[in-house]
Amino acid sequence: MGYRVAIAGRSNADSAPLPYDEMMTAEGLVRPHYSALDRRVAALGDVELAERQRTLERFFLLQGITFTVYGGESSTERIIPTDLLPRIIPAEEWAVVEAGLTQRLRALNMFLADIYGAQQILMDGVVPRDLVLSAPSYRREMQNLFVPHKAYANVCGSDLIRQPDGAFAVLEDNLRVPSGVSYMLANREASKRTFPGTFRLAGVRAIDRYPDMLLSTLKGMAADWRPNPQVVVLTPGVYNSAYYEHAYLARLMGAPLVEGRDLVVHDNMVYMRTTTGLRRIDVIYRRVDDDFIDPLTFRRDSSLGVAGLFNAYRAGNVVICNAPGTGVADDKAVYAYVPEIIKYYLGEDAILPNIETYLCREPAQLSHVLANLDKLVVKAVGASGGYGMLIGPHASARERSDFADAIRADPANYIAQPTIQLSTAPCLIDGAIDARHVDLRPFILSGEKIVVTPGALTRVALKKGSLVVNSSQGGGSKDTWILGSEEA
Amino acid sequence: MMLARVADSLYWIGRYVERAEHMCRLSDVMLNATLDRTDAAAQVTRIVQAAVGDPETDAVMTPYEMARSLALNREDHGSITTSLSRARENARQVRDQITTETWERLNLVYLRVTGDGAAKAFQDGSSNFLNEIISDLHMFKGAADATMSHGEGWGFLLLGMYLERAQLIARLLKVCFGDDKQPPVTDHSALTSLLRMSCALEPYLRRYTADIQPRLILEFLMFDEDFPRSLRFTTSRIAEHLAGLGGYMDHARHTGPERLAGRLKARLQYADVANLQIRDASPMVGTVLDECAAIHSDIYDTFVAYSLEMRLPA
Repeated sequence: MGYRVAIAGRSNADSAPLPYDEMMTAEGLVRPHYSALDRRVAALGDVELAERQRTLERFFLLQGITFTVYGGESSTERIIPTDLLPRIIPAEEWAVVEAGLTQRLRALNMFLADIYGAQQILMDGVVPRDLVLSAPSYRREMQNLFVPHKAYANVCGSDLIRQPDGAFAVLEDNLRVPSGVSYMLANREASKRTFPGTFRLAGVRAIDRYPDMLLSTLKGMAADWRPNPQVVVLTPGVYNSAYYEHAYLARLMGAPLVEGRDLVVHDNMVYMRTTTGLRRIDVIYRRVDDDFIDPLTFRRDSSLGVAGLFNAYRAGNVVICNAPGTGVADDKAVYAYVPEIIKYYLGEDAILPNIETYLCREPAQLSHVLANLDKLVVKAVGASGGYGMLIGPHASARERSDFADAIRADPANYIAQPTIQLSTAPCLIDGAIDARHVDLRPFILSGEKIVVTPGALTRVALKKGSLVVNSSQGGGSKDTWILGSEEA
Repeated sequence: MMLARVADSLYWIGRYVERAEHMCRLSDVMLNATLDRTDAAAQVTRIVQAAVGDPETDAVMTPYEMARSLALNREDHGSITTSLSRARENARQVRDQITTETWERLNLVYLRVTGDGAAKAFQDGSSNFLNEIISDLHMFKGAADATMSHGEGWGFLLLGMYLERAQLIARLLKVCFGDDKQPPVTDHSALTSLLRMSCALEPYLRRYTADIQPRLILEFLMFDEDFPRSLRFTTSRIAEHLAGLGGYMDHARHTGPERLAGRLKARLQYADVANLQIRDASPMVGTVLDECAAIHSDIYDTFVAYSLEMRLPA
């Protein structure tokens, strides 16, 4: 088997620990939860696998599971590269992830309620006041506003990585408008077709209830006196790269997919324009960034939003999910304090650790970062999607010195982390199975209660050796099988 | 209840799909007719050119170039590729409102005409290429019919389809029999081509036998009760769907477009068919075209672009 040889033959020049492999142990043995898949893959052979990969890609293309790449005058639609070999996580490992994510989101929602309320945590000096209040994602407009169940981040997609010792850690929390859940569901459809027998025998936990769980979370956010709340999905429109997902969720929830131009605000109530007149809306699952939801309150040049929406929200006549201003809790600098935040509100240690993070705003940490640029990953606090970052070990001396200048010019805007080894998983690359780095994005819903979906999107860095998994930067995805426990 | 924008998109999907299918038939019939070096070939080319409504008639194109451009030219607003791209673009915007089966059919035909192989497929066999698009579109309509709820959205989809069809057939009749600058078409092969362009040859033969006459063709394409492309049939469906859509309005009143469509339907239903003459074509077809345009703009005023002041809650 090529994969065994590839994994066994790995070495690391600078004696850093080798990345954890999802399928093979360091001793070169197949982990037990992978053995059935391993046998099935061997039985199929490379030619049949390649054929099934093509079938899979055709399925995505026909379904229109594409994102649009804009360049010059033309734009093309591409499918997100998808890999047919599932990534498998055993029940006992998932139990830790589930508990850790639940704990984390509980604490972050409490943090948001505090920040936009009494600000006790700032007064107690656990998180520096200026760090929070000067964050671009902090929304003064949200101060003292009632949010049902204190559930600010109704939909959260955290990025986890597996460290060389096999333990999961949180790389990033996404509390604004996390995307990718449609790929999780589409990948599952595809892998059921690709490996039906193996899938059935493995006892994979079902994820197909996600849309109705999302709908009931959203409905649960509506005021009690609105017995049959009207939920809509607000999309920036067909040109948004995640448009497929917006339409997909709307379709599976049976909720209208609306754009800003479909909505009007009158007397602080939000209505949509239907063929038979105006109809009142109770809950908006918005997939539009804070900045663009209401030109009267946030960015004036936004044509995606609805004028007056925020006032209707403030008046309690409509609920916006996720709440505006949740981004302050996934700010890359605030991230460094999340373990303390958990301790502060829950009195517990974080179940899922953070990645060690240096804040360039602290002079001592800044000089450490500048002295070790060749070993660190540096990220701009406000950026996402893999943009505005420097991967020290892979950068040229020139890129590093340019980045050092940028950091010195605005240290508060940067954080740094050690180069983390993402775990590797077997992927079908050009007809042969090879190891590629992967991360894990589970999806957590929070309303009256917090629910972790027993599934996740595994993102794959398709370039050999690359650690960048973002789809905008050449990343792909694969299905993730969470196995049920023996008793279940 | 559905979003006004969604209704608008469904309506346009219907229009674009119908337009694409019609253009396929026009191109195919023209290419077929021009295989023979007869006078009819020139007439058929003229008919197609006028029916497509190409204003730049100065550009000298062979029928093959014309058909190729009509099929594949993305710059041309009336081309098959443009129509299908727009239909699919609209479908993408209302992806949550149409079934997966319906979407897949439309996406498939879109991928066929915009894919890398399209130009070669046209070159290798234009007739085959065009007829495959037609049968893809039939499958689209079949999938929509069999899987979508026949409710409000369906009503808008079919309304668009029938209104477009009425206008396309009316324009074809105007070009053939009601053009002030040209004598009515009388050539036997040109008349057969006209029937083929309207997908009417076989139904016509069954109704009138192989007696191909301009007056009978006019009668058939305007007044036949059962032929799905006759103006009487299409306007009757338009009136039916508008009546259905009016039923979703909160207060029962006959909407503007429903009234116009009912009147047009009655005109065609109770026309004096026995005394029909070719010279009646121009005024009658002109009325149909004007009324269809009025219905289109009334649909907008009633369902899509209504003024908010009228509909705000009290």
